[in-house]
Amino acid sequence: MTIKVIALNTFKEAVRDRILYLLLFFAALSILVSRILALLTVGDRAKIIKDVGLASISFFGALMAILIGTGLVYKEIEKRTIFTLISKPMRRHEFLLGKFFGLVLTLLVMLALMSVIFLALVFFHTFSVEWKMLLAILYIFIELILITAVAILFSSFSTPILSSLFSLCFYLIGHFSWSLETLIKKIPAGILKVMAQIVYTILPDLENFNFKAEVVHGLTIPPQVLLYSAAYGFLYTVFILSLAILVFRRRDFI
Amino acid sequence: MKTVLAIENVHKFFKVGFIPKKKEILKGVSFSVAESEIFGYLGPNGAGKTTTLKCILGLIFPDRGKIEIFGQPHLEPRAKERLGFLPENPYFYDYLTAREFLDFYAQLFRVKKDERKERVASLLNLVGMDRARDLQLRKFSRGMLQRIGLAQALVNEPSLVLLDEPLGGLDPLGRKEIRDIIIRLKAEGKTVFLCSHILQDIEMICDRVAIIVDGKILSQGPLTDLISEKILFTEITLSGLAAKDLAGLGESLSAHGGRTLIKVFHEEKIQEILDLVKNRNAKIHSLIPRTQTLEDLFVEMVKSQ
Amino acid sequence: MRKNVSLILILCLSCLLFMGLKLEIDKVSRQKIPGSSIIYIPSGKYLKMVTFGFSSLMADLVYIWAIQYFGNTTIPDKFDHFVHIFSIISELDPRYVDPYEVGALIALYDIKDVALSIKLLDMGFAKNPDLWIFPLEAGHYAQLYKKDFPLAREYYKKAMDIPGAPDITKRLYANAAFKVMDIKTAWETWLEVYETAKEERVKKIASNHLYNIKATVDIRGLRSVLEKYKAKYGRYPDKLSGIVAAGLLLFIPKDYDNKDYVYDPKTGDVKTAVIPWKR
Repeated sequence: MTIKVIALNTFKEAVRDRILYLLLFFAALSILVSRILALLTVGDRAKIIKDVGLASISFFGALMAILIGTGLVYKEIEKRTIFTLISKPMRRHEFLLGKFFGLVLTLLVMLALMSVIFLALVFFHTFSVEWKMLLAILYIFIELILITAVAILFSSFSTPILSSLFSLCFYLIGHFSWSLETLIKKIPAGILKVMAQIVYTILPDLENFNFKAEVVHGLTIPPQVLLYSAAYGFLYTVFILSLAILVFRRRDFI
Repeated sequence: MKTVLAIENVHKFFKVGFIPKKKEILKGVSFSVAESEIFGYLGPNGAGKTTTLKCILGLIFPDRGKIEIFGQPHLEPRAKERLGFLPENPYFYDYLTAREFLDFYAQLFRVKKDERKERVASLLNLVGMDRARDLQLRKFSRGMLQRIGLAQALVNEPSLVLLDEPLGGLDPLGRKEIRDIIIRLKAEGKTVFLCSHILQDIEMICDRVAIIVDGKILSQGPLTDLISEKILFTEITLSGLAAKDLAGLGESLSAHGGRTLIKVFHEEKIQEILDLVKNRNAKIHSLIPRTQTLEDLFVEMVKSQ
Repeated sequence: MRKNVSLILILCLSCLLFMGLKLEIDKVSRQKIPGSSIIYIPSGKYLKMVTFGFSSLMADLVYIWAIQYFGNTTIPDKFDHFVHIFSIISELDPRYVDPYEVGALIALYDIKDVALSIKLLDMGFAKNPDLWIFPLEAGHYAQLYKKDFPLAREYYKKAMDIPGAPDITKRLYANAAFKVMDIKTAWETWLEVYETAKEERVKKIASNHLYNIKATVDIRGLRSVLEKYKAKYGRYPDKLSGIVAAGLLLFIPKDYDNKDYVYDPKTGDVKTAVIPWKR
């Protein structure tokens, strides 16, 4: 119940943040600019529009999650609005989770808006509403949930600039870690290989949520992959949030 | 008398500086607050007042010592249910209106919806913010913020109210109003814990005080016990006597407009002056005996460290 | 207000000046270092690693860039990295069909290297063994521009076996088989086409081909026997039946429609009564 109150309040706060609308504007702009880009290609025009559209939603969604998320907890601490909250009969984790769900709700609304613009543009080109795109967008959303958790983790102990940097690193590592697999194969068997494999499995693999290419080409994705990816997202988010709560719990608010 | 708040031997270290050096802020703080009293917590800046308060509220975790609220460990949510807190220089969500703001906090205390409306309205009335109820907090003046902060501290009808510098930045009328509210709270059976360094106000309303200097409690107890009733000196304002006539009787503080203000330390000298006035047909404008004030005590304590 | 006027004047003046300067600079031609527009391009595998989840968008962008690049007439030795660039696009988005096809076109018309076209289509097929378009087009390129029927035949066979390949693939295969004189395969395949044909038109085409094959085989056989007759008797027989009388052949074959072939005793030519394609 307390979580819900904080979440709704956070949603109200985030929705008033101008950064959100700036990013939304750019996302819409890039989706519409793809129309022009499509004119330069030879062959399938719709593919360019779909690729740019999905990439924009993914990229600007991540920016929203990071820029707003890293300010969420920090602002409360800086502005000392947190004092009146923590002194209430609220457990510290309820505060963090409230902030988290508030931002997730905000992202859901933003993503929905971007999706509508995107699907409308695709409709103008292919004269069909391509509902399959929503599958890719759904998994982009799952990725954003995880990024939000990471942003909140860093926000609870670091300044917005550093937190943004760390969150960005998380995002880059997440999209890079799949390539370590080939590297590990080249290491001769031994303790180094085992350690490398442990590191590989613990590093976030955000490519698991990347179904953009499959959806654009109309390939079928095995339900098993979908299920496992969603579960991976859920579990990793739980992991990050637990970490955040752990750090936040013993924190002195000077 | 039931003890509402009990602090025992609380220590707190902070790590300060780039190469962390341990600095002890609270060096074994102990005191207790009884039910239905107004308790003043005084000290110079940096003494540890706000740190103590934050320890009580669970914003900071003490390294050693025990804190109990209503007989329960201070971190228990149940203990916090009956607590109200107004921080120093409060900042609140400035995009909310006064009404939304109080409603938000009422929700955190799980006050039911219909009850909430009533309570918010009565609180706004209590702190005199009725007119501003739909105004966004970002447009509030310092005094208005202080009042709405007080309202927020009372939103759950707490039994113990903790106020950090509640009178700071208010004009004399505002200070009077807040003082009146605090006295009213006591009349309703609530306990008030007050941090301040505006000693005149403390003197006016507090029952008991504790003085903290440099992380240590130097003295605590009922105000009347701490401040002796002894007369320190008497200030007499008179006219019609020359300075040389008053030589040796006391300290002449100022002399202009025909009036002389003299500070007399010895009782016998007062009688001498009165005789002198009568004999010379001079005039006494005022005679004020000054007892020790809290300020005097305070300065004494701080200087002795 | 007065203070700002001079500032605004400076603003406008400097703006106009640099705009004009830009136009002038563009006119001055700078010596192009060969291949300078691509200083170093990493291989597709490594490029994919730094796309951070946007590899198919990257493929689109590289493709668009490649089209502009290869369309640019002023760059010398721009085709040096042709295969490399298209292999990058392939690595980033192996399923993206347009680059392989358009690349093959560029190789054909601009580089004038059919083998390169086919190489690109092979790349596409290697990454997408379920897409019949690649071997089918490769077969086309081999047949039309290289006149390499054995090669074409191989490709048509590959395309034919992939589920979903259009019916015409089979016909192209049969045709190619015929062109390499693999009569047996040609005959069998055309028969298959005839029997499985769903349209009358296709049936007609198949039967025309069958007619043609029979005619070719028959005529070849008849001609060789006629030569033997001439060698034996010094001249061609007056009628075709002559060679049967001479015991050189058991019987005179009729054409596929059970009609007679047309024989010219003066030249020894045997022809079909009708043109196979206009039956």
